[in-house]
Amino acid sequence: MPRLMILLLAFVGLVSPAQAAPFTVRVVDVSGRPVGDAVVTVRPAAGARPMKVGRAFTVTQKNLQFHPFVMVVPAGATVSFPNLDSTKHHVYSFSPAKTFELKLFAKDQSRSVRFDRPGVIALGCNIHDSMSAFIIVTDSAWTATSDSKGFVRFPDLPGSAAAMTIWHPYLRAPGSQISRPLPAGETSEVVAVRLRPPPMHDMSGY
Amino acid sequence: MTLIRFRSLSARLTVQFALLFAAAMIAVSATLSTLISGAASRQVESQLQSSGAVYDRLWQMRSSELQNAGQLLARDFGFRAAVATGDSATTLSALNNVRARLNVGTAFVVRVDGRATGISNPEAARLWKSLDSGHMSGIANFGGHARRLVAAPVLAPNLLGWVVFAADLDQREMRGLERLSAIPLKANVLVRKDGAWVEAAGQAAKLDASATRTIDKHVRSQSAFQLKVDGEASITLAKRLPTFSGGDDAVLLLAYPKARALAATRRLQWTLAALTIIGLALMAFATWRASGRITRPLARLDEAAGLLAAGERSEVRVEGNDELARLSASFNDMAEKIEERERKITHLAFNDVLTGLPNRTMFQRHLDQCLRDMKDCPTTLALHCLDLDHFKTVNDTMGHPAGDALLVAAAKRIAQAGRGHFVARLGGDEFVVVQNASDGPNSVDQLARDLLKAIGHPLEIEGQQIVPSTSIGIAIGPIDGTTTGELLKNADLALYRAKEAGRSTFAFFEETLNERAQERRKTERDLRVALEDGQFELYYQPLFDLERGTIGSFEALLRWNHPTRGQISPIDFIPIAEDTGLIVPIGAWVLREACRQAIRWPEHVRIAVNVSPVQFHRHGLHEIIMQALASSNLDPGRLEIEITESIFLKGSETTLKLLHNLRALGVRIALDDFGTGYSSLSYLQSFPFDKLKIDRSFIQNLLTRPGAVAVVRAITDLAAALGMETTAEGVEEQSQLTELRNQGCSSVQGFLFSRPMNATAVDILLGVKNDIPGRGKKVA
Repeated sequence: MPRLMILLLAFVGLVSPAQAAPFTVRVVDVSGRPVGDAVVTVRPAAGARPMKVGRAFTVTQKNLQFHPFVMVVPAGATVSFPNLDSTKHHVYSFSPAKTFELKLFAKDQSRSVRFDRPGVIALGCNIHDSMSAFIIVTDSAWTATSDSKGFVRFPDLPGSAAAMTIWHPYLRAPGSQISRPLPAGETSEVVAVRLRPPPMHDMSGY
Repeated sequence: MTLIRFRSLSARLTVQFALLFAAAMIAVSATLSTLISGAASRQVESQLQSSGAVYDRLWQMRSSELQNAGQLLARDFGFRAAVATGDSATTLSALNNVRARLNVGTAFVVRVDGRATGISNPEAARLWKSLDSGHMSGIANFGGHARRLVAAPVLAPNLLGWVVFAADLDQREMRGLERLSAIPLKANVLVRKDGAWVEAAGQAAKLDASATRTIDKHVRSQSAFQLKVDGEASITLAKRLPTFSGGDDAVLLLAYPKARALAATRRLQWTLAALTIIGLALMAFATWRASGRITRPLARLDEAAGLLAAGERSEVRVEGNDELARLSASFNDMAEKIEERERKITHLAFNDVLTGLPNRTMFQRHLDQCLRDMKDCPTTLALHCLDLDHFKTVNDTMGHPAGDALLVAAAKRIAQAGRGHFVARLGGDEFVVVQNASDGPNSVDQLARDLLKAIGHPLEIEGQQIVPSTSIGIAIGPIDGTTTGELLKNADLALYRAKEAGRSTFAFFEETLNERAQERRKTERDLRVALEDGQFELYYQPLFDLERGTIGSFEALLRWNHPTRGQISPIDFIPIAEDTGLIVPIGAWVLREACRQAIRWPEHVRIAVNVSPVQFHRHGLHEIIMQALASSNLDPGRLEIEITESIFLKGSETTLKLLHNLRALGVRIALDDFGTGYSSLSYLQSFPFDKLKIDRSFIQNLLTRPGAVAVVRAITDLAAALGMETTAEGVEEQSQLTELRNQGCSSVQGFLFSRPMNATAVDILLGVKNDIPGRGKKVA
């Protein structure tokens, strides 16, 4: 995956900058239904502008769930994991971008983790298998999560050609992501993706 | 059933009933057998199905066990960490640990990105797609063998990959399954290889195309079917097993060797078959016995009827009180009656009804037998032929009951006198006695005399006393004849002679008798041609009227001028003519001829013609007389018919009627030979004869026998009183004439006056008017 990223960045760097313009992507599944929680990253050929690390990022544990399910953070951001449940949680990640463990912290305790490398961090709780969340650490300012209608809007995308990456936790593809080139001047795009069923619901059976 | 013809009712009943029962029994047995077979098949199928269900369950349990273990491993934090971080050594050691614990052949991890731990990447790549599309359990062709794969996803919490266990489907596992079954099953997992089913364990050869097709068909229907498994016909059930990847196909084949599955049923069926055969045998025997009981009386009846038909005495044993018993009783009754009837018929056939003596048929048999015996052992026998004297008269005058009484009495006496000899009645008043005459001629004489004596005792019949008598003719065998017919004929001839000899006597057969009989036959033969040949001639004897002193009439007398024998006396041929009936045409000729002659004579001369009783008793005499009168134109008053008393012996009513008719014509009737035979004064009362002709026997002895004159006187007085004329016959002497004249006789006839003369002589005589030779002689 890092190798792929480098290739993409090199490609983006060759594209000349152009006039900024709004750009809308809609993510749907193969049957046309909107897909939320998809992360779209656009990297203009001219080079990506990093996202500002301005605000605080929080992944709370409440009702035995992580919130939010998918969160985009700029590289170098620190994310705090406040526990609002009465039970303890053991938050972990085996993702190569950031491997960490926050062992058994109780209610109203909060731990923070700083994410320096771009990549996908899959969060889990060792106690509660059903708890799952994803933090996408990005190095491009044009990275956003689709809303429940599947829309992602970039108000100021440079008009030059770019590469677009769509990621979704259940996307049926290596690395759970697909990429496609984005021609210059494109203002909207519809991307259809194939999803797996959520893994937790597929645990039983033969 | 009608194809076979049975000789015995019993066999037919036996076969019919046995067949019927057998059909019913076989049908029942076959149905039972089919039901048992069906039930057994269903039971086996249901056992197979339930075993199948058990196997299903076992399969699932094993799958669950493996899957649980997989899941447990996949959730292990350390294991997940090892997988996530690509720590292959740790992952492998964990997998091996679990593999040993679970006793599975292979355990490995396939990662989402396609890399694998525990197996090679290309092998993993084959499974990736199935795993990725959620297949967590099933059969897969893996590592060159069909194996059961069970997988569990490794989540952290996103999908990292899958822990996969591959369990061998080896014999050991199959036998383990088999041990759990209630019935001795053979369990095999089959996988499809190149389109054909192959045993997963790998030992058995490939199943052939038809077995494959059969299995394919029944996998879908989930029903039991028959298949040869390991060379053994088996009832099998095929259950599809879940497969891991689309290309693989597997079934669980449960086989129940048919021989073992249906062993109990086969035993039951054999028992049933044995019972059926025993039952059939018992039934056939019982039917045979029963039909025998029914038909035995019938068979006995059949046999008895056969005996009866063959004329043997037969009686059927009567048992019980059923229809057959009644039939048997009736049969016995019938047989008895038939026997009795036969006895009666035989008796009637061989015995005379009236006297009870053997009849002619039996006599014939007896004599035939005696004559046959004589050929072997020379003896002598005497045949006595008896004929009652004057039996006809008794029968005619006193009636048939009296005649019968006489016959019965005579038969008794003959039987009594002829004790020890064969006595028979031949018919009418003829009897015979067959005597063994080996003792010599004296014994024959003695028996004949005994018979005459026995018969001769006075007998009272219907209040009248009769003195019966018999004549006996005797022929001696074998001298007088060697056949019954010959002996009987000769005895008859001897009997004739005895009769001629004056009755109430016996005579032996002599050869002369036979000669006379032959002569008589010759006469009879000649008589038949005599009339046609004109050999007859009429002679006329005048009757002198004593009162008027003239010829009053002529009596026509028949003469036969035989071409070779010369003149034959009427005494010799008239009886024969009467016996043969030739008297009728001869008599008719006489009447015509007499009338034809008489018409030429002076009117006061009458013609007298004798008429035989035979003529009277045949129809047509009246017409013959009428014709004779008409053709000659003779005055009926000039014809005088002479009859003898014997015409009254038979049918006197018609005789009287005929006589009255003739009288009514004017024909005169004279009673000839008066005073002989059974003369009865009642005749004189019943018919007004014109003349009585006094028999010559009275005239011949008129002057010598005392009382003869008185008899003649009585007759003439009687005739005078009744207004009849009298003629004396056979007057030969002058003294006789004188006496007759004194006694008041009207006319006379005889050699004294004239012998009979031919027609020419009569003409000459009558041509001399009033010339009375007799008177002339007499005067002289």
